[in-house]
Amino acid sequence: MANITKKVSWSSRGDESGAAGEETPLLNGSEQSRPLRQSLDYDNIENQLFLEEERRMSFMAFRCLEISRWVICGLIGFLTGLIACFIDIAVEQLAGLKYKLIKENIVKFTEAGGLSISLLLWAALNSFCVMFGAIIVAFFEPIAAGSGIPQIKCFLNGVKIPRVVRLKTLVVKVVGVIFSVVGGLAVGKEGPMIHSGAVLAAGVSQGRSTSLKRDFKIFEYFRRDTEKRDFVSAGAAAGVSAAFGAPVGGVLFSLEEGASFWNQMLTWRIFFASMISTFTLNFFLSIYHNKPGDLSNPGLINFGRFESEAMEYNLYEIPLFIAMGAIGGGLGAFFNFLNYWLTIFRIRYVHRPCLQVMEAMLVAAVTATVAFVMIYFSTDCQPLGPDHTEEYPLQLFCADGEYNSMATTFFNTPERSVRSLFHNPTGTYNALTLGLFTLTYFFLACWTYGLAVSAGVFIPSLLIGAAWGRLCGILLASTTSTASLWTDPGKYALIGAAAQLGGIVRMTLSLTVIMVEATGNVTYGLPIMLVLMTAKIVGDYFQEGLYDLHIKLGSVPFLHWEAPATSHWLTAREVMSSPVTCLNRIEKVGTIVDTLSNTSTNHNGFPVVVQPAKLCGLILRSQLIVLLKHKVFVELARSRLTQRKLQLKDFRDAYPRFPPIQSIHVSQDERECMMDLTEFMNPTPYTVPQDTSLPRVFKLFRALGLRHLVVVDDDNRVVGLVTRKDLARYHVGKHGLEELHLAQT
Amino acid sequence: MSLHRYELGFLLIILNIYSLGLIDAVNVTASDSAANPLQAPGYQSHGSSAVVSSPVYKPAVDSSYSINLLSSFPEDVEISEYCSELLRLFGQRYVAYVNCLIPAARPVRVCQNCSPWYNSLSEVFVNISSDQLGPGNVSCRDSILRSDRLMLVFLLYGNLDTIWEKSNCEKCVTKDFKGPNNDTLYYLTLLNQTITCFEKYKEGNHTELCKNCKNTYKELNDLYSGMEKNSTLCIDLEDSMNMTRKLWSKDFGCSYIGGETIPVIAVSSFILFLPIIFYLSSFLHSEQKKRKLIHPKRAKSHNSLMNIQDKQS
Repeated sequence: MANITKKVSWSSRGDESGAAGEETPLLNGSEQSRPLRQSLDYDNIENQLFLEEERRMSFMAFRCLEISRWVICGLIGFLTGLIACFIDIAVEQLAGLKYKLIKENIVKFTEAGGLSISLLLWAALNSFCVMFGAIIVAFFEPIAAGSGIPQIKCFLNGVKIPRVVRLKTLVVKVVGVIFSVVGGLAVGKEGPMIHSGAVLAAGVSQGRSTSLKRDFKIFEYFRRDTEKRDFVSAGAAAGVSAAFGAPVGGVLFSLEEGASFWNQMLTWRIFFASMISTFTLNFFLSIYHNKPGDLSNPGLINFGRFESEAMEYNLYEIPLFIAMGAIGGGLGAFFNFLNYWLTIFRIRYVHRPCLQVMEAMLVAAVTATVAFVMIYFSTDCQPLGPDHTEEYPLQLFCADGEYNSMATTFFNTPERSVRSLFHNPTGTYNALTLGLFTLTYFFLACWTYGLAVSAGVFIPSLLIGAAWGRLCGILLASTTSTASLWTDPGKYALIGAAAQLGGIVRMTLSLTVIMVEATGNVTYGLPIMLVLMTAKIVGDYFQEGLYDLHIKLGSVPFLHWEAPATSHWLTAREVMSSPVTCLNRIEKVGTIVDTLSNTSTNHNGFPVVVQPAKLCGLILRSQLIVLLKHKVFVELARSRLTQRKLQLKDFRDAYPRFPPIQSIHVSQDERECMMDLTEFMNPTPYTVPQDTSLPRVFKLFRALGLRHLVVVDDDNRVVGLVTRKDLARYHVGKHGLEELHLAQT
Repeated sequence: MSLHRYELGFLLIILNIYSLGLIDAVNVTASDSAANPLQAPGYQSHGSSAVVSSPVYKPAVDSSYSINLLSSFPEDVEISEYCSELLRLFGQRYVAYVNCLIPAARPVRVCQNCSPWYNSLSEVFVNISSDQLGPGNVSCRDSILRSDRLMLVFLLYGNLDTIWEKSNCEKCVTKDFKGPNNDTLYYLTLLNQTITCFEKYKEGNHTELCKNCKNTYKELNDLYSGMEKNSTLCIDLEDSMNMTRKLWSKDFGCSYIGGETIPVIAVSSFILFLPIIFYLSSFLHSEQKKRKLIHPKRAKSHNSLMNIQDKQS
């Protein structure tokens, strides 16, 4: 038992010297209030109301439900595709405008002198765009910051993060990502796309919008956590599929991130949503590009086709690829390490919205400046190609008819830069340009992730990786005399991109499929898989993945795939919270109100007992609140026989924003009334004996999506309650099993 | 026998064209050898065989001579008089076009010099490939183009057609392929002015040249950029502009080089300095946000765990 070491939370880990002194007031002096972060109820509450409703439903009604599930999935896919299309077009137009303006300015001042003014213009334009994007995020919806993938991961894992799937979040996310990409930050629009898909799914499946105060009176059956989660996983899949043109990758993403609750029918539906999404994006982009009906623009990021003969790889290249995977893992871990400390600094010191906006603006200005300086001092000139693959070729000090090669990497949206790194012919970039670019972009991207802007990390990672990958290709070609063996550096750019991305986000299954689908070449499956595997192994040795780090920093009780190893000796008795507030089956209203108002009871479920303390059910806080609101008291029911009986619909109408207990008025007389919970409680809650081991409990939570697990003794008396937070504390660290303290948010 | 010679001659021509088109180094030799055949003996033999073969095909037209290796087929399988006439015409014009193309390879004058030849060649090919029946109710399309696996005529024409397509010549010549169109003429005038100016000041100091020719060069450059946007360029213009730009930027060194490095460094270091100030000031002045930890409620009977924690903190 002594091998459990206690770990202090991050807030005092920063400066080790003050750790001991700082921690005591944090632990003892803090006032305990009910945390905002709750678990989702994935377990059906099989109370009497539920059974009655099920009995009333005809066979046809069930068929209709099944059909409407398919309709919703189709809608989710369609709308996600539309949003992706909107983002793509908006970014292209706005960025085109910006680059045209700056290019004209630079051309004008190259000859006349005064390029510092162009620099200022560029920095100012970037800052202005980013300012707008950061203001809406920092002031209106802070949850929309970042890529949104950690939040969706948490949602699918079963943690309810407030406001994460609201319409307002969606709007802020979409507008924010447009401005941050146009603002020239080292960001991509793919991560936010996944979040957007998930929000859309949550919204569409409910058939109403609380923000707009519109209820379309459809899909009412789906207003509960279980159904919503299924649709959200479909939405996330549709988002991935729209972002990368990878429908199968989308399905596997949902599988990888939300895998604990899964069935085959759901998979099939999710696949449908993914397909619809990528098809919709395809279709509308083909109209936009004036080629209606040409369905070959599958995703937001299109890696282009890797089909030429030069792109073939050989057996002897596999070890090289694996070595590149190892480099990617190391670099990724370094990236995460830097970003981790930066995020801690940001949480501590840069937490006021106006500071966050200022920081984002500064990053934008610095990004522009660095890019300009690099372009200015670069002497790498390349002749203009006949087919003009460069969107905005910048001549600057190059000879007429040539363009600055550094400018193609910086003076462009990141997606285009990635594509030109993959596909531009040999000799487009020289080694020095690529090396410098990798170095600067690495730090810029690391600095940018975690700002209060809506932005993803996929594209910057791919870009860094593609740059050093291409560099590897060029260096390999220069070391060997037989140049024909290593013809195309684009191949190495692809492998480098995969390695870097794998090293940063540490996704495995879905990332492999996404990369394979985005390149449209199945033969690259094996190298990409090996590379991602190596990157993950090497990276995990040093540091966790970026998303996991941010989840940890957000103090989210996240349950991983497995219980921590070497935890079998821990039993439910040690893990559980005790004592637990229990309610009687027929309880006084006053007691209930007091229990709910009491800030020290931070559980959302209460075991219902019959004397003497024998467990007979479990009731949720939200249910109690609805009951109180409708005043379902025994005395009132007796006096007014005509009163409408409470139905499951009443609970659904209140979902998901149950009012707080403070807003419910209970008069002094009513406090003396009694409430009968028999009908509403879950009569068969899951229970475990006290000696159940932690992994066993963990498996129950993971597989069933439990929220509360009652611990009982031999006589079925309640002794404790295990929640997700009690399990998520335990981690395997360097010194064996460690206990983490979750911070309140 | 002569049929074979005939094919061989074409093949050699094609080989030549291929080697010309693909490798730049050979390219130079090609134009050189055309001028002084003695300097490149290795090439000369190729060229001469092609040249020699051309007079051979006039007699070869008459199918009755071609019995050396092949015994003749019955009348209805052989190609008709009309078709063989077309084929002969095709051959003549083909040679004429190729003969025009090769000297025009460097510097590229393909469009200005050879467009009429292409026009006449394509006219014949259209005749051959049209499905309308000629005199004697025969369609040459099937007998000439599709009778065998090799489809020689089709291949040959395809090669030249690709050259034509790639050169974008139709952008620079008039509708009837007779000569350069107005845009091209205007461009060529400007080009000539610029080159004359270059020639004039070439001797001695290049700064003089840069100053005096700047206006004409700039006008030319702008015109070219404009045409580039409209995509009304053909290979002739592209090549001539490339050479002019190279002369201007590389040989004479007239491109604007250098500039005000100091203001750029000053402005950029100012901007790069801002974040440092920002982070320092927020570190010093902003109050540190502390988070409250959730204190687990544990069973009292199992406080061994708590003891460890207490001891450590």
